[in-house]
Amino acid sequence: MITFTFEGEPISVEPGTSVAAALLSHGERITRLTRINSAPRSIFCGIGVCFDCLVEVDGEPNQRSCITTVKEGMVVKVQHGS
Amino acid sequence: MEVRFQVIVLGGGPAGLNAAKYAANAGYEVGLIDAGSRLGGQYWRHTGCEEFDQSVHHNFDQGSLLMDAVLANPRITVHSETNIWSASIINDEVVIRTNNGAFITQRLILATGAYDRSLPFPGWDIPGVMTPGAAQSLLKGHGVLVGKRIVVAGTGPFLLPVATGLSSHGASVVGLLEASGKYSWAKNSLELLRNPAKALEGVGYLLALRTKKVETRYRQAIIAAHAGANGSLESVTIANLDSEWKIRSTYKLSCDVAAVGWGFTADTAIASSLGLALDVDASGSVSVVVDENQRARQSNEAIAIYAAGELTGIGGSDLALVEGAIAGLAIAGSTQDLKTLKKRRKKLRSFAQALTKVYPVASGWKSWLSADTTICRCEEISYSDINEAREEFDASDARTIKLLTRCGMGLCQGRICGRTIADLMNSTPQERINSASRPILSPITLGEVAQEGLL
Repeated sequence: MITFTFEGEPISVEPGTSVAAALLSHGERITRLTRINSAPRSIFCGIGVCFDCLVEVDGEPNQRSCITTVKEGMVVKVQHGS
Repeated sequence: MEVRFQVIVLGGGPAGLNAAKYAANAGYEVGLIDAGSRLGGQYWRHTGCEEFDQSVHHNFDQGSLLMDAVLANPRITVHSETNIWSASIINDEVVIRTNNGAFITQRLILATGAYDRSLPFPGWDIPGVMTPGAAQSLLKGHGVLVGKRIVVAGTGPFLLPVATGLSSHGASVVGLLEASGKYSWAKNSLELLRNPAKALEGVGYLLALRTKKVETRYRQAIIAAHAGANGSLESVTIANLDSEWKIRSTYKLSCDVAAVGWGFTADTAIASSLGLALDVDASGSVSVVVDENQRARQSNEAIAIYAAGELTGIGGSDLALVEGAIAGLAIAGSTQDLKTLKKRRKKLRSFAQALTKVYPVASGWKSWLSADTTICRCEEISYSDINEAREEFDASDARTIKLLTRCGMGLCQGRICGRTIADLMNSTPQERINSASRPILSPITLGEVAQEGLL
């Protein structure tokens, strides 16, 4: 198992899990708030096409959670704005 | 980094895997470039564990043999997790720029596949509304169930394996809605008889769903989604439709996930970047034009570009495998007789064409939109924004709408809303082809461009 944090809370998953799969399997659905309406968004296409499931990973914004593999110690945050 | 290969294949799904295998077996050094972390594409998406689950992985035995053969082939180099951000022709060579450096060749096979087609409706941007492909990829790739009470809706045969996979893994599929009519197959029953294996696959899903008490409701669709206090999906409004998909009556259903899809859109962005001839079918679907040997049309004679799979017309994995094999053999100049493969391709193509007739998207979906319905998810452009541009600025085509509203100019670059805007603006086939063009294929930072020495 490897552990990363989402909004400061530790989450442990099997190696090879995507950030999106890790979040959904732990009941976390909202990955970002939109730039204009601050509307919550989540996984939509699941295969890296739609850019809706963006998160901030280790301070780097605009990371697609559905195609980003979790790494030990990764710091994942809800993305505010696009 | 710059790497040259005799043949480069883009995409590690059924078409790309077979293309790589056949080209390598014909004696060529092949580079296979794929965005995923494991080969297989969307169709054979898997967890990488030894044990796999037949209920979500159709034909996985075949896929796993093919993936093993590709990985074991000393003439094939696989580059996974490689995202392409530009494809161009420079000095009689194809240059593919990626996060892992540049790949260069004179023989390219495109097998970039397809993604779910989405239609907008009020609330489709609420967390919990997703494509069937998203629900499927999380289940197949990670063993994760996206929700507990799920409505699967839209049109097309793909809804059946998705609903079957979800329900056999413990989700309660509270609705399976097919917008087409129950007897739409009757008009094309000949094609069904010619492809008994496909017919049996469909019957298999229906039987599996029956044991879970999931019955398909025909001529019904989700026309609105509603969020609860936490901002997530809580319920959907479902409509009984007429044959044009106009609303006849409605009812509500509570659910935590709505998986909604309307067939597929081919990913033609790279093909368009390389200047390949594209075509548009009656449904508005853009595809790469290929000849008898899967060779695409473009103006540089020093370069051979082939295309296989969904890119040349949505047709499923069996057709993709055959097209991949033909492309791989043909690009290698193999003298092997392609007659049997071409005969099989013909049969599978005519089945695919019958499918598009059975599951057409009727224009009535436009009547489901309300003024505040989001059309472009990235740039948060509503239906009223588009209508305003139409009425106040006399915008009459998709390109003007884009320039006025920023619709389709966000991070996904119109991959999700492009076809919708074209439908709303009644775009001509040529306008649809033009809008498939994207000079930058995926977002990159200026730092990454600088690293490549391009700044």
